Amino acid sequence: MDIQQLLTLLLVVPIVSSIVLWFTPTNFKALSTVHIVASVASMLIAMKAVMSVVNGETLFAYDQMLFLDSLGGVFLSLIGVTGLLVNLYSVKYMQWQVDSNEITVKDAKLFFALSHLFVFTMTFSVISNNIALMWVAIEATTLSSVFMVALHKGKKSTESGWKYIVICSIGLAFALYATVLLYSAGFTVINDSHSTMLWTTLVAHAKEINPDALKLIFVFALIGFGTKAGLAPTHTWLPDVHSEGPAPASAMLSGILLKCAILGLIRYYSIVGNSMVGFEFVQAIMIVSGLITIFIAALFLIRQHDVKRMFAYHSIAHMGVIAFGLGVGGVIGLFAALFHSLAHSVTKALAFCVTGNMQKIYGTRDMTKMGGLIKIAPITAILFGIAICSLVGVPGFAIFVSEFLMIQESINTGLDIPVALFIVGLIVIFIADFSHFNLATFGESKTKILTNKIEWSANIPLIALGALIIGFGVFTFNGWVTLLNNAVNIIIGA
Amino acid sequence: MIDLLSVLSIVMIVTSLLVFGLRNYKLSIFAYSFQTFILVSIFLLLSSTHLAEQLSVWATIAFFTKVLLIPFILLRLIKKLDVVYEDEPVTGFFVSPIIAMGFSLAIAMSIYPIYLEFSMIKESVPLIASITIFMMGIFGFILRNSAIKQILAYCMFENGIHLSLALMAYNSPEIAELGILTDAIFAVLIMSVLAQRFYKYFGSLDVSKATELKG
Repeated sequence: MDIQQLLTLLLVVPIVSSIVLWFTPTNFKALSTVHIVASVASMLIAMKAVMSVVNGETLFAYDQMLFLDSLGGVFLSLIGVTGLLVNLYSVKYMQWQVDSNEITVKDAKLFFALSHLFVFTMTFSVISNNIALMWVAIEATTLSSVFMVALHKGKKSTESGWKYIVICSIGLAFALYATVLLYSAGFTVINDSHSTMLWTTLVAHAKEINPDALKLIFVFALIGFGTKAGLAPTHTWLPDVHSEGPAPASAMLSGILLKCAILGLIRYYSIVGNSMVGFEFVQAIMIVSGLITIFIAALFLIRQHDVKRMFAYHSIAHMGVIAFGLGVGGVIGLFAALFHSLAHSVTKALAFCVTGNMQKIYGTRDMTKMGGLIKIAPITAILFGIAICSLVGVPGFAIFVSEFLMIQESINTGLDIPVALFIVGLIVIFIADFSHFNLATFGESKTKILTNKIEWSANIPLIALGALIIGFGVFTFNGWVTLLNNAVNIIIGA
Repeated sequence: MIDLLSVLSIVMIVTSLLVFGLRNYKLSIFAYSFQTFILVSIFLLLSSTHLAEQLSVWATIAFFTKVLLIPFILLRLIKKLDVVYEDEPVTGFFVSPIIAMGFSLAIAMSIYPIYLEFSMIKESVPLIASITIFMMGIFGFILRNSAIKQILAYCMFENGIHLSLALMAYNSPEIAELGILTDAIFAVLIMSVLAQRFYKYFGSLDVSKATELKG
């Protein structure tokens, strides 16, 4: 298979899957079979592509408009792995929803079809070398996922869908302005309309582009992609959207989509950092943005009793952590930020999917009404525990690795006050989370238990996510580390 | 000598005030359609004065999608919902457009010199107009609560960006322009469906009434 075919397949498989699902008869068994086969196929192609760029190669296709480098490979691996496991879980989750008459089979069909369209848009955003197409793809991620979020009919669902499209569209408009400005500023030095749209050319000519324009461009890109990534103060859509959507939709949004927006921001971070503006400028902005985001999320986290809303604020907090890592910068800071993207992706996918199990058991998302989960559904309780332990940065779980690296590098580079604030923010999150964990897991249930039966077919994808969280927390995977190191080299222009 | 490009740009600014300020939905949609028609005229003018053939293609596409299709979608929406007038926003019908225009112009005046430096077509008034219209769209979201007005605000800031794109990057690959327009049309379609749902569940188009999700 040549490079062009590989990159084409990355896009064709999910879009064709979406169309096939759309025309599949409205029969749950048929739909779930097609959904699973398509998800596995998308994952296999994504991983084949990632394997091709582990050692630092860059694949180009269609006159360089599409490309895959190690940096894109990091994020494509999230789409492949997290996407597959969440899609597998979604089959059982949708079955429960249909059985309890929350949705119809037709709604489940819409969800499955949209989830592949969503994968298509996210993949497109990751492999677009053309910065305008990257913007188009990121905007399209919103459009393709609105009705995954607003799948249920009702006030809350409609409100969350409206907020989602409106706030993200406003934010991304600034990113489009950043794109237009970058193109025109770049064209004055590159003088070729096709090449000026390419990220690889822009980063190569970054030093020649006007630094004042680049500063404004980065601020616009931060507002735009930062809104989509859930960075404060434009994070307000995220708690509503992540809490109201079906559990697998929340898992996809939090686990993968936010990272695609972060990748968009990293592409601009790299251009501006490698220009005459220098990395100090972008790092300073990212540190401030990261810390504000962490503190706002931590303050809201303390008072959350809705388990999905709690995890939604966690998404914001961890986007703040990634921003902080970009702010710390350098090889280790960037490595940590990218590692955190994976760690948070698998952790949050597990966390949101577990809320699907909990909702099935208790029929509520309110943790004050839960209790005794460890006795009722021990596997779900353990998985919930793994997600919480990772989210708060307990050693041995994936998120600890990146947070530890960020703290270590901050201290080494003399960022004493920012790192002190960072640690305070993490402590607040730690305390808030464990008090919530105790509420749901131990003691007696304060509400009627609807069922204690969670099928293995629902738990297996979650166990795989749990295994990945512990695996990345305990072991060093050489291939993954090589991929990350090469991605860091791309960002810093080494 | 009257500079036609500047005149058309100023007409676009005035129409943005109408799109924003008119209480009658139908008139507001017509004002948007007219604004886009002026945008198309600017594309054609630039196409002939700067020998930018791409802009005549942009003009054709924008005419069918933004002058005709998007207003058609919105007119169908208000007909379906049977709504005629916007409810009065908190900041009032007259105060909010003035606030929006004042701030939009101030922002445009402060940042347009940077745009001008890199713009392919170095014309101050159209660049100021593009930023002003974009910001009017942003303020439309902030100051108006009607779902339909917010869709129009989206369309308006999209017009502002489109004008910037024509002035600053008219030679950019057409695939980018096509992608941006496709996104815009789908966004309007999706927002229209959500506005219908909103009206069904909340009995109003006032998005400030959506307070189910807090905290």
